[in-house]
Amino acid sequence: MRHHVGALSLDVRFVLTKPWNVLFGPSGSGKTTILRGIAGLVQAKGLITPRGRRTPLAPQSASLFPHWNVADNLTMGGGQRGHGDSREILKLFRLDDLKDKLPNALSGGEAQRVNLARATMWAENGGILLLDEPFNGMDVALRDEIIHDMRAWLAKRNVCVLSVTHDVAEAFQLGAEVIKIADGKVIAQGPVEAVLAEERERLLKQLI
Amino acid sequence: MDSEALWLTLRLALTTTALLLAIALPLAWWIASGTGAVRALVQAVVALPLVLPPTVLGFYLLVALGPLTAPGRLIIRLLGHPLAFSFSGLVVGSVLYSLPFAVQPMVAGFRAIDPALAEVASTLGASPLRIFRTITLPLAKPSVITAAVLTFTHTVGEFGVVLMLGGNIPGATRTLSIALYDQVQDFNYAAANRTAGVLLAFSLLTLIAVYWRGAARRSVLG
Repeated sequence: MRHHVGALSLDVRFVLTKPWNVLFGPSGSGKTTILRGIAGLVQAKGLITPRGRRTPLAPQSASLFPHWNVADNLTMGGGQRGHGDSREILKLFRLDDLKDKLPNALSGGEAQRVNLARATMWAENGGILLLDEPFNGMDVALRDEIIHDMRAWLAKRNVCVLSVTHDVAEAFQLGAEVIKIADGKVIAQGPVEAVLAEERERLLKQLI
Repeated sequence: MDSEALWLTLRLALTTTALLLAIALPLAWWIASGTGAVRALVQAVVALPLVLPPTVLGFYLLVALGPLTAPGRLIIRLLGHPLAFSFSGLVVGSVLYSLPFAVQPMVAGFRAIDPALAEVASTLGASPLRIFRTITLPLAKPSVITAAVLTFTHTVGEFGVVLMLGGNIPGATRTLSIALYDQVQDFNYAAANRTAGVLLAFSLLTLIAVYWRGAARRSVLG
């Protein structure tokens, strides 16, 4: 896809090959704009997405609907067909105890979980799910459990994930296919061990 | 107490408020949903009654709705009488005069809604109509209520436009504020005192209700 906004120019082409794909790059490299383009929120030339299909996006700022409790945030007030089982999703994202709370009563990490749960629930079978820095502010133990359960849930429905991160450890943990972005261009794509080998070395050195 | 004038005033305020909500809601949403020269122009025209002397607005409407202009002549042919000096004429004048009081709170209300909410909802497959009905409108509800209350009270207190456009016909155009003016002209200060008292009490009670409700909402939602 091609996209221009002021000084930012984006020209990227990639194919989502694995169940979980990670867009990796520094801030301002255009990762979020790519997600927004695929979701249909910005105009882009040559953008190819499945027509007439939902591509749910979990934005970086949780953006929960403030007038609905957690359960209604998931179902968008209810009454709309085509979403997965919200009870199953509440359990998967450990939201059972929070389902009657309003967004302003949630912590940052809790709100992020609802955001993630909402997008996941609306993903279509065989479709794409877009996640922008999805595990920000989530505590590590819970994050590992949720990633594990989410994978199983998505695999059952053949949903392909494209998630954005600038966190090397997270990309390795997801064991994902990595698309490395810099200045609005794809500079590498492949398995995480190959594409982020250099970043991993640097991270390990810092730790020692 | 002139109960005919009181009833007429309430009828005028209710009719004006109902019409203005229907007009202002789409207009405010359109103004709030973008920028540009056309929107700036429309906003300026909408805000004009805030700074224009009501008599100026009343004068132009009197001329425009009378037999001197083509639309005025058309109205006279259709209705059999001019719009000026009738209840319908007052409604037209009040709608224009109170337009900014309905539109501006709604514009502020719509603008305060995080645009990311509608974006997320659209990626989840919600139609624009569903987004407006279930997300935008409920979140803008407090400002729509404020707009309705302001429009109603502002119309109750209207004087200049009514005097220019409606004159002083009991049961048709003689509102409370006109009755008060009349009573003072007649040196009937006792009656004027009662009329003024009613208008003052009504305005004060309405404002107390608005602020009370606003404070309650803030303490519930944090």
